[in-house]
Amino acid sequence: MTDTDAAATSQDQPMVTLEGVDKYFGSFQALRDIHLSVGRQEVVVVLGPSGSGKSTLIRCVNRLERHDRGRIAVDGVELSNDVKTIRQVRRLTGMVFQQFNLFPHLTVLDNITLAPRQVRRMPRGEAEDLAMELLERVKIPEQARKYPGQLSGGQQQRVAIARSLATEPKVMMFDEPTSALDPEMIKEVLDVMQELAGTGMTMICVTHEMGFAREVASRVVFMDEGEIVEVGAPEHFFTDPTEERTKRFMEQIL
Amino acid sequence: MTATVPPPENHATGAGRDAPPRPTAQAWARENLFNNRHNSVLTVLIGAGLVVLTIYGARFLFVTGQWEPVRTNLTLLMMGTFPRSEQWRIVVQVYLLCASVGLLWGGLTASSRDRARDAGVPFSRARLRDGVRRWWPVFVLLAVLLGMTRTWLPLAFVASALALGVAARRLMEALPEAGRRGAWFGAGVCALAGWQILSGTGGIAWWWGAALTAAAALRLTRNVRTDANWQPAARLALVAGSVAVVWAVYSRLDFGGVGWDDWSGFQLNLVAAAASIVLAFPVGLLAAVGRRSKLPAVRWLSVGYIELIRGVPLITLLFMGDLFLGFFLPTEDPLSKVTRAIAVMTLFTGAYLAEIVRGGLQAVPRGQVEAAQAIGLSAPRVLGMIVLPQALRAVIPALVGQFINLFKDSTLLSIIALTEILRIRESIHGQREFLIVGIAETLVFVAFAFWALAFTMSRESQRLERRLGVGER
Repeated sequence: MTDTDAAATSQDQPMVTLEGVDKYFGSFQALRDIHLSVGRQEVVVVLGPSGSGKSTLIRCVNRLERHDRGRIAVDGVELSNDVKTIRQVRRLTGMVFQQFNLFPHLTVLDNITLAPRQVRRMPRGEAEDLAMELLERVKIPEQARKYPGQLSGGQQQRVAIARSLATEPKVMMFDEPTSALDPEMIKEVLDVMQELAGTGMTMICVTHEMGFAREVASRVVFMDEGEIVEVGAPEHFFTDPTEERTKRFMEQIL
Repeated sequence: MTATVPPPENHATGAGRDAPPRPTAQAWARENLFNNRHNSVLTVLIGAGLVVLTIYGARFLFVTGQWEPVRTNLTLLMMGTFPRSEQWRIVVQVYLLCASVGLLWGGLTASSRDRARDAGVPFSRARLRDGVRRWWPVFVLLAVLLGMTRTWLPLAFVASALALGVAARRLMEALPEAGRRGAWFGAGVCALAGWQILSGTGGIAWWWGAALTAAAALRLTRNVRTDANWQPAARLALVAGSVAVVWAVYSRLDFGGVGWDDWSGFQLNLVAAAASIVLAFPVGLLAAVGRRSKLPAVRWLSVGYIELIRGVPLITLLFMGDLFLGFFLPTEDPLSKVTRAIAVMTLFTGAYLAEIVRGGLQAVPRGQVEAAQAIGLSAPRVLGMIVLPQALRAVIPALVGQFINLFKDSTLLSIIALTEILRIRESIHGQREFLIVGIAETLVFVAFAFWALAFTMSRESQRLERRLGVGER
């Protein structure tokens, strides 16, 4: 509805904007004065040691966590405490979790059609066609009638990606999507993510997959202790990082 | 004795190898019952004990037992003081209920058959034989009851009611999917009609009819497209229209009915327990969800209700309900005794159910809620479609356990002078010819009637648990 007229004016406005965002868990400050803007069709990879606030950052964008200061906007919609606004932002964003979080009591097909049918009021047949199309994209159409528990980790994560795409989000956020996977399954998930990036999807990925960052990212963000330490192109990061903290981190993981 | 699980029935193994052969009874016994000296001694001792018990039990049941008090008073035990002139209502109601259950069962069978077909997995249709195997305790109870009657009428009644149910199921299965949708309403209508014939059309009974008619009308016109501006108005008119029609019909119909206080005997136990179970479930659900609410007022109310009720014995609550529940209610005429008892049992069980459900809610991982929120589901849908289904599945055994408790606790109604089965049994021994005859036998009969149904509930809950566990590994 509002998407079409907003799109005309907002083509050059960034997809996701964070300005001066602070987040506390009790007295612990998880995010410190975050400024980040993610452009359309950009793939931003967020790196950083554990506990550096990477996950919190993307979880604030779709309001799984509530930020305490600053402003966050997705496609021009600024997050507020209003339930409608929050749901609007959640419709614009898709999220893939480390633990997949598929709904174990629903079949793969029902997992994917749930949001289109309930949120977008799509008729069942249409929603199932869409779901099959998405399952083709993640290359597991033959698993449609199974339950999540019957699939491997890699397959589950690909279903989770299809489930997020079913809401036709404008931004996809990945929260360490391969960290819970056995090594041999990581590639199948990364391949799907890479293909998705190829279609022009705006993506924010929290990941430790350096290969993915190097090949797919348009920008890399390095975080430490709740701060954005450094932002730059992947080549810059892998060859010649500016900050001391970044250097140390890159040395440890490479 | 070592508790070894008997070998499972032959499962088809996908690996192309046959399952290991089932051991012969002899081999099994040698391995599990007589595998060493201690075990052999134990086996012999326990076996001897079982034989003695069986002999005594059989002698009691078939030889020495004086079942005359039960046989003579069978109708009294079952129906108590229920007005005999109204018996036909129960007959009609049972037929309608059988038809309704048959339709529902057929609908479920047909849709799972279709699902299995879509998924390309084999489907085995449950037959009446399977039903008997599943509910054998109930069938044993029926057989005992029918065996004690002296006329063929009850047998004809039970057989024809069963046949009706099976026929309804067949019919539903044969219908195409579109026809089945209509027949779901048929099932609702049968159940409702049965209820109305029992309870009459007076009071607010027509609400149920109106609700069902309105639902049917809305459903039937679902695909009719109108101007979007008129849609809500048209819907409202449809609902108002069906309410008016149903009201007009009901106000002209009057075929009497039985009140709550007419129920008596084992029927009272069944009716009171069934009503409390049906009512307590939503109460418990609400209280459990309320206890986790972010709104302090809702949370305090739920905690207050749960903790207050759980701290007081049921008997005390029943007395309180009987003696002064009426004072709190702003009605002129006090509620009937049975209604108040059901209200108390509902509130009591609701508090326990709430704690059980809360345990289930806590077992649902946080990530499930987050994933549901992330795809944009509204809070009620997150609860209803994601959290509750998983939470309830986790607590089925405890829930059914609570229902079984409630069913058995319906005997406590005797202490507030309601003529449920235990009280009837007591009054039987006030009859001159049975003053000291068959005191144990009548008790055994009552115990058996409860056991047959409670055990069936427990078996069904285990089955449900197994079925719902499919796919969650």
